[in-house]
Amino acid sequence: MEIVDVRTGIRKKVIITRAEIGDFKTLTKKRYSFSWKTIRELTAVYKLCIEGNDDIFGVIGLINWSEEKRIEIKLLASSAENIGKEKHYSGIAGCLIAFACREAVIQFGIEACVSLVPKTELIEHYMNNYYMQNAGRQLYLDGPNLMKLLKNYL
Amino acid sequence: MRTRKTNTKYTPEDLAESIVFPVSLTKIQKKTAGKQLADARRRTQKVMTEDERMSLSIFQLKFQLEDYIQNKNFDADKTFGSFLRQYVESLNIKRKRFADEISIDETLLSQFINEHRMPPDYIVIRLEIHSNNSIPANYWFRLVEKQREHELNNNKEIRKREKRFVHRKLAIAV
Repeated sequence: MEIVDVRTGIRKKVIITRAEIGDFKTLTKKRYSFSWKTIRELTAVYKLCIEGNDDIFGVIGLINWSEEKRIEIKLLASSAENIGKEKHYSGIAGCLIAFACREAVIQFGIEACVSLVPKTELIEHYMNNYYMQNAGRQLYLDGPNLMKLLKNYL
Repeated sequence: MRTRKTNTKYTPEDLAESIVFPVSLTKIQKKTAGKQLADARRRTQKVMTEDERMSLSIFQLKFQLEDYIQNKNFDADKTFGSFLRQYVESLNIKRKRFADEISIDETLLSQFINEHRMPPDYIVIRLEIHSNNSIPANYWFRLVEKQREHELNNNKEIRKREKRFVHRKLAIAV
C-alpha cells in the first residue's frame, strides 16, 4: 500500500500494524482528532507509518463482529497535517479502509463486510471516494465494491 | 469527544478524505441499522457472480499466504498442501480437472495436497500462471522454503544418520 506526497507526486510505501501501548502517548487529540487512549478499550487500534519511519500518519479503530462476518470502522483519523487542502500526503484514509477490508477478507472470505456509521453530511463523500454502499444508517463495503477498493489501494 | 473545531475548519469533502467520526446510535437505531445492513448484504450475496465469489476466495488465500510467509512463526497446519487444497477448492472444480489444467496427473496433485511430496519449481510456476499472476510463484516458493526450514531444523534423525559420514569436525565452535 502506498500514499502520495501531494507536492512531489512521489509514492511512499506504508506499513499498518497494531498500535502498541507506547504509541498512545503520541496519539494525541491535537494531532489525531480523538482521544485514542480512551478508545483502545473498545476497539483494536492500528497505526499507519511510512516504511522505515516511526512517525504515525493515520490511525484506525476497528471492531470485529465475527458472528456477523463484519468489521466496523468505529473511527479513523489522518494526522492533522494530512487533512484539508494543504495536506502533505493523500491516500492515508483509503489505505486504512483497505486494510480493514483486507482483514475482513482474510477472516470471512466471500462474505466479508466492512461498515461504518457516517455523519450525515459525509455520506455522499464516503460513497464517492471509497465505493461505499448505503444501507440506511450505515455505509458498507462488500462483494465487488470491496474488491474494487482493495485493487485500488493494494 | 472534541470534534467541533475540526468540523468547522474543513469542508465535508476534506473530512471524508481523512476522518471517520464516531457516531453513537440509540438502541432502537442500532437495531434498525443492523437489519438494514443485513438486508443489503443479503442482496449483494444474491447477485454476486461465480467469478466474483472466486475472486474473493483467491484474495482470501493470497492475503493469508502473504501474512503467513511474512510471519516468522511456523504453523504445522499452514503447509503447501493445505494452501493448495484451499486454492483448488476456491476454483470450485474437481481435482481431476484442475490437474488437467496444469498438465499433471491427479495422483501427483493428491500427493502434493496430502503432503506426501514437495513441489518442484515447475509446479509453483504453473500455479502462478494458472492464477493469472494473482498469486506469484515466490509466495508458493517461500511457503515451501518455510516448511523445509522447519523440517531441517527439527529433524534429529537426519543428523544422527549423517553424523557417521563426517570424519573430522572443527575443534572450535562459535
